[in-house]
Amino acid sequence: MAGWILLGIVVIAFLWFVIVYNGLVALRNQVQNAWKQIDVQLKRRHDLIPNLVSTVKGAMEFEQDTLEKVISARAKAVAATGPQDKAVSENMLTQALGKLFAVMENYPQLKSNENVMQLQEELTSTENRIGFARQFYNDLVASYRTKQQIFPNNFLVNMIRGFNPEQYFGAAQADRAVPTADLSLRAR
Amino acid sequence: MPFTFIEIEEQKTRRIWVFFLVLLFLYFATLATLLAAASEALSLPYGTFLNTRVLLGLSFVSLTAATLHFCFSTMDIIRFLHDNLAAVKPDPEDGIHQQLLNILQEIQVVTGNRKKIDCVVIPTLAMNALAAVDLRGNATIAITEGLLSRLTRPQLEAVVAHEAYHILSGDCLEATVAASLFGLPASALEKLSGTLVPDFRLSPAFLLAHLLLKLSQLLNMFISREREYRADAGAVRMTRNPLALAEGLQRVSRSWRGIGYIGGGLEMLCMVNPRIRATDESEGWWANLVSTHPPLRNRIRILAAMAHVGLSQVIEQTAPRKRSDGGDSSEPVFYALDPRHQWQGPFVLSELSILPWMSPLTWISDGGQAVERAWKIPRIGQAVFMQRLAQDQKQATGFLCPSCRQPLLEISYDRTQVYQCHFCGGVLVENAKIARIMARGDAVYTDRVRALSKTVMKENLGKRLKGPAEPLPVETEALRICPSCKNRMMRTFYSLAYLVEIDRCNYCGVTWFDPDELEMLQCMIVNKMAADPLEPSPVG
Repeated sequence: MAGWILLGIVVIAFLWFVIVYNGLVALRNQVQNAWKQIDVQLKRRHDLIPNLVSTVKGAMEFEQDTLEKVISARAKAVAATGPQDKAVSENMLTQALGKLFAVMENYPQLKSNENVMQLQEELTSTENRIGFARQFYNDLVASYRTKQQIFPNNFLVNMIRGFNPEQYFGAAQADRAVPTADLSLRAR
Repeated sequence: MPFTFIEIEEQKTRRIWVFFLVLLFLYFATLATLLAAASEALSLPYGTFLNTRVLLGLSFVSLTAATLHFCFSTMDIIRFLHDNLAAVKPDPEDGIHQQLLNILQEIQVVTGNRKKIDCVVIPTLAMNALAAVDLRGNATIAITEGLLSRLTRPQLEAVVAHEAYHILSGDCLEATVAASLFGLPASALEKLSGTLVPDFRLSPAFLLAHLLLKLSQLLNMFISREREYRADAGAVRMTRNPLALAEGLQRVSRSWRGIGYIGGGLEMLCMVNPRIRATDESEGWWANLVSTHPPLRNRIRILAAMAHVGLSQVIEQTAPRKRSDGGDSSEPVFYALDPRHQWQGPFVLSELSILPWMSPLTWISDGGQAVERAWKIPRIGQAVFMQRLAQDQKQATGFLCPSCRQPLLEISYDRTQVYQCHFCGGVLVENAKIARIMARGDAVYTDRVRALSKTVMKENLGKRLKGPAEPLPVETEALRICPSCKNRMMRTFYSLAYLVEIDRCNYCGVTWFDPDELEMLQCMIVNKMAADPLEPSPVG
């Protein structure tokens, strides 16, 4: 009798192990896939920026500083590797682009240019896609982490290797800061 | 509210099976009734068919019939919707359509590219959206032009997310299946009953079918009300922007949302019910039973609460702004009868002018009892038609079209000058030029013109054989006014051989051809489709 009970416990433990292990593997792959999806969107953004810069360059000759910041931020973002590094450099690029868009508001001839409008829509869409891909990635990371840390899965994760807690793709501190507006109407 | 969004989301529905079982039951009940009626008619003893073998056979037959019905009715539902609503694929050259395509891509990203979703645009000014999926896995989101142009980007994104949730959660498949199982036969029956003789409508078979369909429609409605709440919740989870969805819904609730005739039962696929009904905005068991859509007010309130704002703030945000250019709010509005014979509106003059189907012959109402052709209302003539001519840079002549009362344009037809109406397409030709035009007729005509010529010829031959071959007697009021000398024109056949009705002015020698009549006449003459009274069908 005791032998049967023991066997039952072993079978249940084995089944539990298989279910949890497979679940973790599936989630890990999904997280990796979601990360690659962010990459796809980031690449899209990097490809669009040179177009935008060359289109607006002529009209915005007094804004060389802003344009150069965008270009250098893009170069850094392209070179970045790993979630942490990427998050930082992409956030810088987001800021530089935000500044560029804000400055572009001062140039009515740009707003009436169909090419620029189209590029701006593409970039807006890309920004949204990056945001959404990031959201999807972070949601997956959250459920992956939860699955690793809940009882009794945490024992299993500690026993075997290969399941490291993935990093969140966070927003930079600067993103959360309240923007300050300059309303002094200074001549640029 | 009986449930929170989280609870609604957690309710997993597998109701397609229920539909199938209901369908099975309906078939079984119908067959059993027919069998009973047959045994009654043959005056067989009671209970002849009440044995296991017959019941098994009946079950088998109804199972087969239900399966076939299920598979076939849900095959082509998306194409049916496209055809019925004249939906078109977004034009990538168009900025607004491109934005829609981008938004759809964004929503695919946020759902992890789980399913390929297409989108189409319904060319109407109404504000509505719908999603449809068929059993083959094709998914489509349809958005009206009105919605596209009047919502902001975040609002549109929330609406697309709402529809995408319907598709991804599977409840859209359920609704589409329900709609196509019972809704399509219902709309077919509606159409049928319009064309058939009245006697048929009283036959028991028809009444039974009608009753069953109504019952099953009731069933659909009973179980599909909360799916809109669920989709709202799903949309918020995707876009994390409850306020945009609330504002979007508020805008939709304030404007007109009909999307044209879809057919019985398919309304449940829309984001808001295109047929406005009192039960939609109320709660309680009866409203839950008969309504496919929950109260909009309730949906907006829940969404606003998620964004920590009050309902009044949402209403204020989306209230139409006063025009800053001095335009007063008491601008006159009009309703127009569209080509499908449905009243649309209200439109202000600028909106009327961009309606693609608006013509001088469109029936217009100002909201009161009076209904007039558009050309009879001078304000519309000035603001809409003259402006269109000016936009197209057309040089108007002094002649007025006898049906549209708009200036005719001088154009070149078969290399001679004639006067054409920009709106109806009718042509004014000086009599001397008619022979020239006929001689230059091209042997190649479109199938439409050929078919038209044949039909007109056949019809008019019948008319001519019945009555005198003289000009048809018509009341003077109905006769056209000559664009050139303003006298009444004579309505007659072109000749006894070529039976096309034309309007001829005997004072100044011009002839008015209604749209297609000139081509038909040329086609008849070139192809020698002359009328022969001895042969009932002159053209084969």
